[in-house]
Amino acid sequence: MAKGNQRKFDRLFFQNLVVRQIRQDYLENLTGFAWLILQPLILLAVYAFVFSTIFKARIPEAADIGFVPYLAVAFWPWTAFSEAILKANSSITANGALIGKVAFATEQIPLATVTATFIMHLIGYIAVLIVLQLMGTSIHWLFLALVIPIILLMWLFACAIALFSSAIQVFVRDLAQILPPLMTFWFFTTPILYSASYLPESMQGVARLNPMAWFVARLRELLLFGEVNFGLTALLIVLFIAVFSWASLRFFRRFSGHFEDFL
Amino acid sequence: METLVRIVDVSKIYPRVHKPRERLQAFTSLLFGREPAHGAEVLKNINLEVVRGQSLGIIGENGAGKSTLLKVLTGVIQPTRGRVMVHANVAAMLELGAGFQPDFSGMDNVRMKASLMGLSSKELTDRLDDILEFADIGEYIHEPVKHYSSGMVVRLGFAVITACRPDVLITDEVLAVGDESFQKKCISWIQNFLRQGGTLLLVSHSMYVVQKLCQKALWIHDGGVKKYGDVFPVTQAYLAWHEKRSAREKERSIQATGESANYRIEKLILKGAKDDAPPEFAMGDDLDIELQIYSPDDRQPVGVVGIVRADGTPVYGVISDNENITPVKLSDHLYRFRLRFTNIALLPGSYNLRGYSMDPEGVRLFDTCETVFTITGNTKETGYIRLPHEWID
Repeated sequence: MAKGNQRKFDRLFFQNLVVRQIRQDYLENLTGFAWLILQPLILLAVYAFVFSTIFKARIPEAADIGFVPYLAVAFWPWTAFSEAILKANSSITANGALIGKVAFATEQIPLATVTATFIMHLIGYIAVLIVLQLMGTSIHWLFLALVIPIILLMWLFACAIALFSSAIQVFVRDLAQILPPLMTFWFFTTPILYSASYLPESMQGVARLNPMAWFVARLRELLLFGEVNFGLTALLIVLFIAVFSWASLRFFRRFSGHFEDFL
Repeated sequence: METLVRIVDVSKIYPRVHKPRERLQAFTSLLFGREPAHGAEVLKNINLEVVRGQSLGIIGENGAGKSTLLKVLTGVIQPTRGRVMVHANVAAMLELGAGFQPDFSGMDNVRMKASLMGLSSKELTDRLDDILEFADIGEYIHEPVKHYSSGMVVRLGFAVITACRPDVLITDEVLAVGDESFQKKCISWIQNFLRQGGTLLLVSHSMYVVQKLCQKALWIHDGGVKKYGDVFPVTQAYLAWHEKRSAREKERSIQATGESANYRIEKLILKGAKDDAPPEFAMGDDLDIELQIYSPDDRQPVGVVGIVRADGTPVYGVISDNENITPVKLSDHLYRFRLRFTNIALLPGSYNLRGYSMDPEGVRLFDTCETVFTITGNTKETGYIRLPHEWID
């Protein structure tokens, strides 16, 4: 694409988009920054009540850690992942006015939405980890250095899915209705509320194909048990997400010049 | 000359997308790189080249495809066929204030827009004062844009553009908004931009603005190029076309009463006229006219010669009787008037020459006949006629 058509990725503009998204979704609607920390903590308290007091959930391999920390460590990254995809899905249609009037690399819009969601949830995640530590769970803080690349991979994975879905959403409006139950299905088939060992033998193989299950397991190992378990799977997952991201960007760009006709 | 913008054989088809099924079809055809199966072709094989320093006006009636062409040029939409090459830093004003977020303050939106136009934060800081001065909206800059009047949005939008110092400026009828003084400010900014070697592509319905700012004009009609060239002939042809179109109904009633007329017009001749095309005269030429009238009782009829604008607006008329002119008798029952308009002061445009026949008493009008002609010339004067004038200190 020619230079003058200004369809290049612009770092400053992208930054502005992310900041705008954060202000719009979090800071303008809630009464300030405090809520950002409070909201996940309240949610965590709700989960703690429901699962440890009412359901009396027990995870054998985390018996001495307790259910709440076991859940919290996996639940936040998932929430970021899921919310990012759902929000980004309709981001192109929501920004129709901008897309129809100004030439820019349109992929910046879903990517900014995903990024903003991840940034905000990461802040909440750290708040949750701190609270867990204060409540007596020993968090392996040093392994945060390895958690970050995992979160980055999850972010990239979410970006790739968001590029696919937001492009399709422009043409097939039903996707906005189909996607939330799909994400819920994914949530329950990923060992977040339970341990991977609960899955029946026959499903273990299929579960291994779910990158989210891998992410969740690694996050728990690193932060709660202080174990490092990066094997060949890590390499395969990196490779898969890299190829998938490249393909979804190509897919997105195939359509992005024509969005205006359909908005 | 350095070519900054070149479009080759560009066509744009807007696919039909009302029904979900049509959207899905459009989706699959895009996925496999095919053309949409059905849709409206709004641009048809357009070719255009703009060199550095050129200013081009794009004109045409509503729905002709002007805005789509600009969108293709700026890269907002992709053409269905053809190529667009832009080798320059382009600032597009398809709609001033496009992309402004109503909930955010003017300042936030300036930041956003500036980054969208590729300004670094340092450049923005350096030019922020200029932007605020140009926009001239005072403390409102810290208010959310949703509280702005439409004029203020436009001011701010234009102000950001001025700070971007583009090579090519593309605007779509944006000068029509904003108050008088701001419009003047914009026009003088654009003139200054052009003087400094800027390149301009402008869509406007105001031929005055187009003639004032542009050297060349492109007339788009039904998605195709109808006429391209120097601004004056093209805009004049466009205006003439418009006038003629709106006059079509009126003309019908003026048609000659024909056979039944007693004193009927035999001939109305405009020298230089050929059968096929309307004759062209430059401003200052002489118009030689001959009017032949048949007189049933062989008395001398009265002749009238007049000029009307193509839309029927009378410009000038003269009656032989009032000037004590008698016709020359050519043969039995046939009389001839000859008239010359010297140094014609009509402004460029399309006109109709009309002849009328009256009875010898100059009381009743019997017959009408008319012929079209065009006046050409380069002038930015407005109206129909150049009045003799001088500027006094």
